[in-house]
Amino acid sequence: MRIEIRNLSKTFGGFRALDRVSLTIESGRLAALLGPSGSGKTTLLRIIAGLENPDPGEGAVLFDGRDVIAHSPRQREVGFVFQHYALFRHMTVFENIAFGLRVRRRRLGLSDRAVADRVTSLLRLIQLEQMSHRYPHQLSGGQRQRVALARALAVEPRVLLLDEPFGALDAKVRAQLRAWLRRLHDEIGLTSVFVTHDQDEALELADEVVVMNEGRIEQVGTPEDVYNRPKTAFVTEFVGAVNRFSGRRDGDRIVFGTADAATGNSTPQQRAVVFVRPHEFALSGKAESDGFWAKILRVHAAGARERLWLQAESGEVFTVEPGNGRDLPRDWTLGSRIFVRPQHFRSFPEEDPLIGAAG
Amino acid sequence: MMRPPTVENRPLIGDRGARPLRKAASGSRGTGADSGVRLLRAAAIAVVVGFLATFLILPLAVVFREALRHGWRAYVAAITEPEALAAVRLTLCATVAALLLNTVFGLFAAWCLGKHRFRGRNLLLSLIDLPYAVSPVVAGLLLVMLFGRHSWLGGILAQWGIEIIFAVPGIILATAFVTLPMIARELIPIMEAQGTEEEEAARLLGANGFQIFWHVTLPNIRWALLYGIVLCTARAMGEFGAVSVVSGHIRGSTTTLPLHVEILYNEYRFSAAFAAASLLTIAALVSLISKRVMERAYEQDRRPHKIQSRRKNTP
Repeated sequence: MRIEIRNLSKTFGGFRALDRVSLTIESGRLAALLGPSGSGKTTLLRIIAGLENPDPGEGAVLFDGRDVIAHSPRQREVGFVFQHYALFRHMTVFENIAFGLRVRRRRLGLSDRAVADRVTSLLRLIQLEQMSHRYPHQLSGGQRQRVALARALAVEPRVLLLDEPFGALDAKVRAQLRAWLRRLHDEIGLTSVFVTHDQDEALELADEVVVMNEGRIEQVGTPEDVYNRPKTAFVTEFVGAVNRFSGRRDGDRIVFGTADAATGNSTPQQRAVVFVRPHEFALSGKAESDGFWAKILRVHAAGARERLWLQAESGEVFTVEPGNGRDLPRDWTLGSRIFVRPQHFRSFPEEDPLIGAAG
Repeated sequence: MMRPPTVENRPLIGDRGARPLRKAASGSRGTGADSGVRLLRAAAIAVVVGFLATFLILPLAVVFREALRHGWRAYVAAITEPEALAAVRLTLCATVAALLLNTVFGLFAAWCLGKHRFRGRNLLLSLIDLPYAVSPVVAGLLLVMLFGRHSWLGGILAQWGIEIIFAVPGIILATAFVTLPMIARELIPIMEAQGTEEEEAARLLGANGFQIFWHVTLPNIRWALLYGIVLCTARAMGEFGAVSVVSGHIRGSTTTLPLHVEILYNEYRFSAAFAAASLLTIAALVSLISKRVMERAYEQDRRPHKIQSRRKNTP
């Protein structure tokens, strides 16, 4: 099902959680709402579910073109997975999954048998057939997460919404569940939206990443888009590791990394922030064009990739992950100088109001 | 190389407060340096036991000894005489009525205050505690002022033939007033800790308001509710001050069990007084035991969602 959000705002007290947000998620897609805490992503998800009402006004939420703002959560037929699962603590795994079917059994005309069959098939799907008589507190975090998912899927929702689905799990379980959720999504083909503050998760899992900041949508695009072609300074800084330099615009050139770029004698219109990812530098022992000298502060060489901490003449400390060992001159020592050439960078005018909010 | 001092080898001086507890918990054998601490602990235990024996166990024993002073036959006669039975009946009636009122009130109040945030919430929370702060006698007097014959409200009710003061409704009101916070107070913190996510989940799964309450909210607080009911019952049966003011002490009609005990005592019928008192004592003991049993089950419900991870995570 296609989800369309038009011009939605939400204010809590004096705090503007969502500011005229519009977004379309095509049918069958897996979309990630990515942003720091307080960016409005969970609020948006809860409004889609009907758990929260948007500010009255022209805002609309459309499912397949039909406005559902006036519909209660019961009528919207959405599956929702809570961050802390919200499993019914006094019910077994089986009863938890069966709940949605049982409360509307009369409406759906389901027999006990049909409910049991459906629950059993879901238990098989989440690979917890042996656990059906356990209580939530007897399960691990990953198991609870899967029960919560099965419970949401039991009622055959039209949309699946997940609030920080892996937030409470440890790293290893998280990675496994991520892969599993992606496979599951591809199997059922349900339009799904999940909230996360973890950019790796969003980039790895989603078809479409919606980057949010301070109640607004900064950029919508494929993971590749938001990583390689960020539209704003915020997206650049929030998605992926990046070095930030202050520099200035000099005609059609951007100057940064050198002492004169940081002296501040440039006019405000000329000031710029420049972002370079750690792997986008080339290193050399001798001066070349389009680069600057930097001092080697620290080298970490124990991982698959070397990582260097360098300090530019302008005083900024930044990290470099050279593509291979050849970049680094053989005779380097800590404190020695090295020539750094950014092969790729993005710059934004400094008066961009979004920069200060990066986090 | 110098090692930083750990808790175990830190010198004992100046650490006496914390030490005995640690010892007791770990159960390790005391060394020579610990003997002073052990002495202190033994002394503390002796003081506590002595205190409890003097103020609780001894009086308890006295109640039953005095009640049975003239034998079982006299005891049974004392608690089966018509006035005693009437007092028992009235006590039960007032207790059950107060319990019903306070259960309904407690559920509503806890739901409002535990699951929602709104302006004036803190004021309401303090107001609920008012009956704890007000002396029961004052509470009784307030009821007399409000519903007495010469009050405005009492006058209107009297025209319709409804008596509140010096009658059973007054006793129920007085009992309900002094036990008002007891159930709400048990439910509010647990409802607060549990949050509203389970209710939201149920709503999204298609449950209606009643189904949510019956299948999700109520089972989650059942032990807290029972616990509150036990506490409320114990307090309601023993209430003396407020009831004494509104009762009028009409024998066999508006005397509850505690009032009955007082009347008998004032008439120097000690044995009968203690026999009636023994009934209240037994009721208290029963509620004490059920309270104890319930506390363990109760603990499980109190746990919020976030902190439950006893097992190793294996997907």
